[in-house]
Amino acid sequence: MEFTFNGNLIIIPTDVIAGWLSALIGLPIVLYWITKKHYWSTIWDYATSTNHRKVGTLYILFSVLFFFRAGVDALLMRTQLITPENQFWVFQGEKYNELFTTHGTMMIFFVATPILIGLMNVAVPLQIGANDLAFPYLNLVGFYLFLTGGTIFFLAFFFNAAPNMGWTAYAPLSTDSFTVGPNNNFYIFGLQVSGLGTIFAAINMMTTIIRLRAPGLKLTRMPLFPWATLVTSFLILIAFPVLAIALLLLQFDRLYGATFFLGELGHPVYWQHLFWIFGHPEVYIIALPAFGIFSDIISNFSRKNVFGYTAMVASIALIGLLGLMVWAHHMFTVGLGPFSDTFFAVASMLIAVPTGIKVFNWLFTMRRGVISMKAPMLFALGFIPTFVMGGVTGVMLSSAAADMQFHDSYFVVAHFHYVIVGSTILASFAGIYYWYPIMIGKKLDDKLGKWHFWLFLIGFHMTFFLQHLAGLNGMPRRVYDYTYEDGIWTYNFISSIGAYLMGFSMLIFLWNVFKTHRNHKQAENDPWDGRTLEWSIPSPPPEHPFEKMPIINKRDMFWWSKINHEPIPTTENHRASPISKPTVQPMFLSAGLFILSFGFIYGWVWMQLLGGVMALSTFIIRAFYDERKSAYEKEEMENE
Amino acid sequence: MSSKTISQDLFGDKRIGFFIYLFVEVVMFSTLFATYIIYTPPQTGPHPGELFEWKTTILASIFLLSSSGTLLLSEKGLNNRNMKLVRAGIGLTFLLGAAFMYFEIEEFRKFIMEGHVISTNNFLSSYYVLVGLHASHVTFGLGWMIILFIQGRVLPFNLFKEKHKIFNYYWHFVDVIWVIILLVVYIPYLL
Amino acid sequence: MKKWFIFLLVPFLSGCSLRTLNPISETGADQAFLINLSFGLMMFVVAVVCVLFILFTVKYRETEKNKTDIPKHEEGNRTLEIIWTTLPILLLIGLAIPTIIYTFQVSNTDASSEEALHVNVVGEQWRWTFQYENGKETHDKLVLPVDQEVVFHLNSTDVIHSFWVPRLVGKRDAIPGKENKLKVTPNEVGTYQGKCAEYCGILHADMRFVMEVVPEKEFEEWLAKEQ
Ligand code: HEA
Ligand code: HEA
Ligand code: CUA
Ligand SMILES: [Cu+2]
Repeated sequence: MEFTFNGNLIIIPTDVIAGWLSALIGLPIVLYWITKKHYWSTIWDYATSTNHRKVGTLYILFSVLFFFRAGVDALLMRTQLITPENQFWVFQGEKYNELFTTHGTMMIFFVATPILIGLMNVAVPLQIGANDLAFPYLNLVGFYLFLTGGTIFFLAFFFNAAPNMGWTAYAPLSTDSFTVGPNNNFYIFGLQVSGLGTIFAAINMMTTIIRLRAPGLKLTRMPLFPWATLVTSFLILIAFPVLAIALLLLQFDRLYGATFFLGELGHPVYWQHLFWIFGHPEVYIIALPAFGIFSDIISNFSRKNVFGYTAMVASIALIGLLGLMVWAHHMFTVGLGPFSDTFFAVASMLIAVPTGIKVFNWLFTMRRGVISMKAPMLFALGFIPTFVMGGVTGVMLSSAAADMQFHDSYFVVAHFHYVIVGSTILASFAGIYYWYPIMIGKKLDDKLGKWHFWLFLIGFHMTFFLQHLAGLNGMPRRVYDYTYEDGIWTYNFISSIGAYLMGFSMLIFLWNVFKTHRNHKQAENDPWDGRTLEWSIPSPPPEHPFEKMPIINKRDMFWWSKINHEPIPTTENHRASPISKPTVQPMFLSAGLFILSFGFIYGWVWMQLLGGVMALSTFIIRAFYDERKSAYEKEEMENE
Repeated sequence: MSSKTISQDLFGDKRIGFFIYLFVEVVMFSTLFATYIIYTPPQTGPHPGELFEWKTTILASIFLLSSSGTLLLSEKGLNNRNMKLVRAGIGLTFLLGAAFMYFEIEEFRKFIMEGHVISTNNFLSSYYVLVGLHASHVTFGLGWMIILFIQGRVLPFNLFKEKHKIFNYYWHFVDVIWVIILLVVYIPYLL
Repeated sequence: MKKWFIFLLVPFLSGCSLRTLNPISETGADQAFLINLSFGLMMFVVAVVCVLFILFTVKYRETEKNKTDIPKHEEGNRTLEIIWTTLPILLLIGLAIPTIIYTFQVSNTDASSEEALHVNVVGEQWRWTFQYENGKETHDKLVLPVDQEVVFHLNSTDVIHSFWVPRLVGKRDAIPGKENKLKVTPNEVGTYQGKCAEYCGILHADMRFVMEVVPEKEFEEWLAKEQ
């Protein structure tokens, strides 16, 4: 749509208009519904609470919302690609490029990463017998940073300025010489803000696991999800700071005329190194927690302990370490030379060994067990073959010379959707079904869960299996168009149908959530006949479920206490619990950062100053309104 | 009664958390050091040897490094609850830090006046980002000290002590980074 | 309609005619060999996993009979664990050795024979320029003599592109400020699709070119014709 305003010709694409319209219509309806149902107090309670279970629930809620947004991007892409030389709506050229950029970025940063952090929030403290995370306030801050970053990125579309440089932001395309306008600044600041939140979450998880375990719960007795969380946090602490600096350098290129990645003197390839030093560990950051979740679920629903526990822990650690050393396998076509290429090729292949150990241990956990096919277990079962198929194509990619054919083709697209959807997304669904009683105190419908699972899985394989062949037949990624002669029509057609099926299965999931909440039935305690500590407490758990600390002397303590009919011994006096108090400060901080980011994105200095002052003043407020003040005062009085 | 150990337990958590945070900073600065090394010396434009001066570098370093010493003084006061010493230590540290910032800003100002700005060449870009990030850490520390000064009056002693300790780690860390900056950024091109 | 005919035909042709698996050069054939080899090894892995998976899920699923059983505690099994650690290592060695050999071979672009043809390939948003040694320049059309070694000198004037003729050989990036080389000998006459494989902006999808491999004589004539 075009019109003139103040003598300027203004062009607004119809998709943006449609976006605004649906927001303008949808938002009032949602607000009205909330008011009518008297949900505002609940929302306020969640928005200000620093309790780990509530923060975790928020993380998951918003990640799922972002999943729908990024999923709609995917459906639009698939619709544009459904036939050769298709002209679907506006999604050719620039608009298509925006689609895959926002799809990929959102899925990785605002879906996969935070949804797992959300599940960690919900489950990890309870699994190790802690009352809360070590830093409840920081936890809420982390969540708000994620939400703010996600919102900044999300809003880009509404200003007709969605980023368009691919989620990898390769320079020099990503510098201001080739992509002008605010579009890609949204990428930089969205990721910068949320990345900081991820770092905080990792610090919090790590401290919690190191310091807050119940007495007797040695590291060697810890369930595997906390173990995965620990290693993941370590990876985050290495990967995300590198991303932060890479983005900072890119920001200087884009906004202040530096030329780190551009021109005669800059090194475009340096960006690729920085990005993948972050990016490769990132894919294990989203895979390892998924492995942890599946280990717990498979063991629980087979009613057996995890097979080869020590090997499982060692392989998590090994995958983490190796994961730090293989980044250049994304750069086999850059021409880094045969030494570098073969080194990274062999290092990448090595990761198959610890991953294989995990796969076989999962299989042998099920052997001689009693496998109960509830929804969470179905997702875990779907994961094993799906992930293995994705993993082995990864090994094919890591063969450097062969990767010259695979690279940047749909073969790669197929590979990473197999591993990511196979591990992270299936694990998130599994985790949501599994821990729903802990999050909300209700149980999702198992039958609908099974429908969700089967349709999603079938749709998934329909979408991505044939993409291997499309890639081998020469279809590059990130193209909005192909010809009849390319001979990839059938693959794309079936692939698009599969994507719609996946979308449909997500509607079933929505319906499931909706139905469960209309139903007033509460979940019973220990609904899955659990093995780990989080099931030893009422559902939903009270704020401080372990007032009396359980004393642990073996793995799967709760299970054995049920088998042997002897309650878990407890102690009164282990250590102080973190102090959690509702607070609005994180909200204020994120408002400041939001304003600051928009100031940078559009280059308005007054706005940068305003936002900067707001953000910095949060530090001052926090310095004098520390939630621990009263507790320390009390202690002081008692000591006098 | 367990409340006796609240402050100990929670401080222990916080210390670990903060150390992990410092590790994050280490990774960030390492990336910037790598960037600096990659782009320096530059192929065109001013060479670092032509810009850096012994005088400002040494003066700035003296001020910043001695500020770590005065902070130790303050910490000593903390241990025997001598608030006077604590405040004096913070005050001195603040002044020394501010003096460092004076030289830092002078140096930036001089370069910019001479026309050596961020976009001049990649050596200068990475120099500004790296040294600038360090300078903003020092500035943040200065603001933090003002707050700490007031906190000493209004917070329960144990909480103040905790905040003071955390600040110490931060300030010493920023100092160590400066030493590495000296070794990587300045000295090779001054000699 | 002819177009719908193509739609139906593809699944029948696909298995045997995928472009990357039907290369027209030695180097491309090496890469196709690697793809096939790794595919074979991987199929073995997938098969093993799937067999165990089906076996266990069918055999040990919950039934009315075993509903209340408590499975025995099982720490692990040393022998099994050793097997599934060493077996993958062996498979990987089998893949790593040819990978290393072929990776060194494709990267060895300097030792080209005397009469090798040198072509400058310049990527720019959004077209390809091919410059021959005699100064002849073409856009989006690359003509090569059959059975003669060619060395491509890849360059870019703006952002990163990637030179890819799926049936010839794997891709190599064209990076501004850094020359990359790719050496190959096409040995089958014909017309082939070429593509830009690195995302390079709005018209990335349209940055295609045609590669024609022609007999030596024809090539000489073409090269001499109008500059
Ligand atoms: C969850 C995320 C995830 C995971 C777990 C993996 C896992 C692996 N990935 Fe993948 N990868 C991505 C996400 C992921 N990847 C993404 C997002 C990209 C593209 C980014 C972009 O460009 O946009 C990518 C791209 C990518 C490339 C670059 C391709 C290219 O652009 O040219 C390569 C190359 O080496 C690669 C390799 C691997 C390998 C070797 C593994 C291994 O870890 C797999 C190990 C697992 C198994 C092998 C299966 C189980 C093992 C057994 C059953 C034992 C026996 C097995 C053998 C003997 C083989 N990946
Ligand atoms: C967590 C990671 C993740 C996940 C889960 C997904 C999920 C999906 N992805 Fe994505 N994808 C990436 C990460 C991910 N992707 C990345 C990193 C890239 C690379 C980007 C780049 O090149 O820069 C990519 C690229 C990518 C491409 C290649 C684009 C190109 O190169 O041109 C395609 C094409 O088919 C695709 C498809 C899909 C589909 C169909 C899904 C499906 O699984 C999605 C299923 C979900 C839904 C369908 C949502 C449900 C929504 C509804 C039910 C709403 C219904 C409402 C209405 C219909 C009104 N993805
Ligand atoms: Cu040039 Cu893509
Ligand atoms: Cu990788």
